[in-house]
Amino acid sequence: MSKIVSVHSFRGGTGKSNTTANLAALLAMGGARVGVVDTDIQSPGIHILFNLDESEMVHSLNDYLWGKCGIKDTAHDVTGHLGTQVKGQVFLIPSSIKAGEIARILREGYDVGLLNDGFRDVVTELGLDYLLIDTHPGLNEETLLSIAISDVLVVIMRPDQQDYQGTAVTVDVARKLDVPKMMMLVNKIPSAFDLDDVRARVEQTYKVKVIAALPHSDEMMTLASSGIFSLKYPDSIVTKGLKAVADEISG
Amino acid sequence: MPPGSSPKDEPVNQEQFERALLEIKAGKEDIRPSDVVIFSEPLRSTLNRAVRIGRISLTEFAKELEVERERAREIVELLIKRNLLRVSSFSNDKETFYETRLSAMTRPLGRPPSDIFKKLDD
Ligand SMILES: Nc1ncnc2c1ncn2[C@@H]1O[C@H](COP(=O)(O)OP(=O)(O)OP(=O)(O)O)[C@@H](O)[C@H]1O
Ligand SMILES: [Mg+2]
Repeated sequence: MSKIVSVHSFRGGTGKSNTTANLAALLAMGGARVGVVDTDIQSPGIHILFNLDESEMVHSLNDYLWGKCGIKDTAHDVTGHLGTQVKGQVFLIPSSIKAGEIARILREGYDVGLLNDGFRDVVTELGLDYLLIDTHPGLNEETLLSIAISDVLVVIMRPDQQDYQGTAVTVDVARKLDVPKMMMLVNKIPSAFDLDDVRARVEQTYKVKVIAALPHSDEMMTLASSGIFSLKYPDSIVTKGLKAVADEISG
Repeated sequence: MPPGSSPKDEPVNQEQFERALLEIKAGKEDIRPSDVVIFSEPLRSTLNRAVRIGRISLTEFAKELEVERERAREIVELLIKRNLLRVSSFSNDKETFYETRLSAMTRPLGRPPSDIFKKLDD
């Protein structure tokens, strides 16, 4: 059975794209066929983590939404870009990074229902085990749709007062959409905090299982989204936490 | 039992039925994800499940909403009008299947005064 997994946070910059890319790589290392969709049409970014250059982008999600191509034509096999032997495969569906194309989709809007069809079709057409959706922060119809059709939701937050309140809204909406499996990841925890303490407090606040409480990592900062962290630093505590999330998704 | 019949012992929940009808009739446009979130139970969870799986049969729909088949059909007709359901080609004489599809246009942005969009297009 294939699984659709949404990675979301109420606020921006929590680590959604990095987490999504790492989960894709870790699941593929276990032999899975994984699709990754960048639904952050207004501020796409996950292609950077997979080293997909603009010149290599044949078709983007925007082209599919405009009816210029099928969803399968937008999937780029980036397995070779991971720089490590992986048993499985990773396909990336990027959003356009051309300023004019981003402007057009914002200006004209698009039918979110096309995402509904596209996600289902690409899972079938590429025989995917997992489809990971990297979302735009905050709640909007696109995000609600992603959550509504997902089997798993990974909610990310930082230990910050602004995140605390917004995350409560996300968790509440996800419960109203009956998402079958919801889990949390607390990211960028300052070194002054005790990781287990943060985990316990967040679990108590939201009544959702916190699979990983990850410290702020200088190595992650330095890598600056130029690659997949868990492949470069397989022994890091951050990688260990991301592996736990991947295991929870596949379990 | 012939298809479409409603035996006397089938559960009927008049209140839930009427509430569901009212809630769906409250709008005319395609049903959006944010509409489903505010529907009452058991309509909300029934639609959630159907959307996640991608399809639902009339029998399942009636069972989950705890209404007779004919009443379920009335609700289904409204959901078809609002484009959440459409009759699937897998339907046969014995059973009607529906495919689900959430919709919604994203809100197009207004044109900024500097008309930056036009400049980006050029
Ligand atoms: N645990 C961590 N420690 C230090 N830096 C991190 C950590 N996790 C992510 N980062 C950094 O934070 C920045 C934002 O990460 P990322 O782009 O993945 O977030 P995002 O939630 O996708 O952001 P956006 O909302 O803008 O899409 C990146 O520079 C990334 O390298
Ligand atoms: Mg991002």
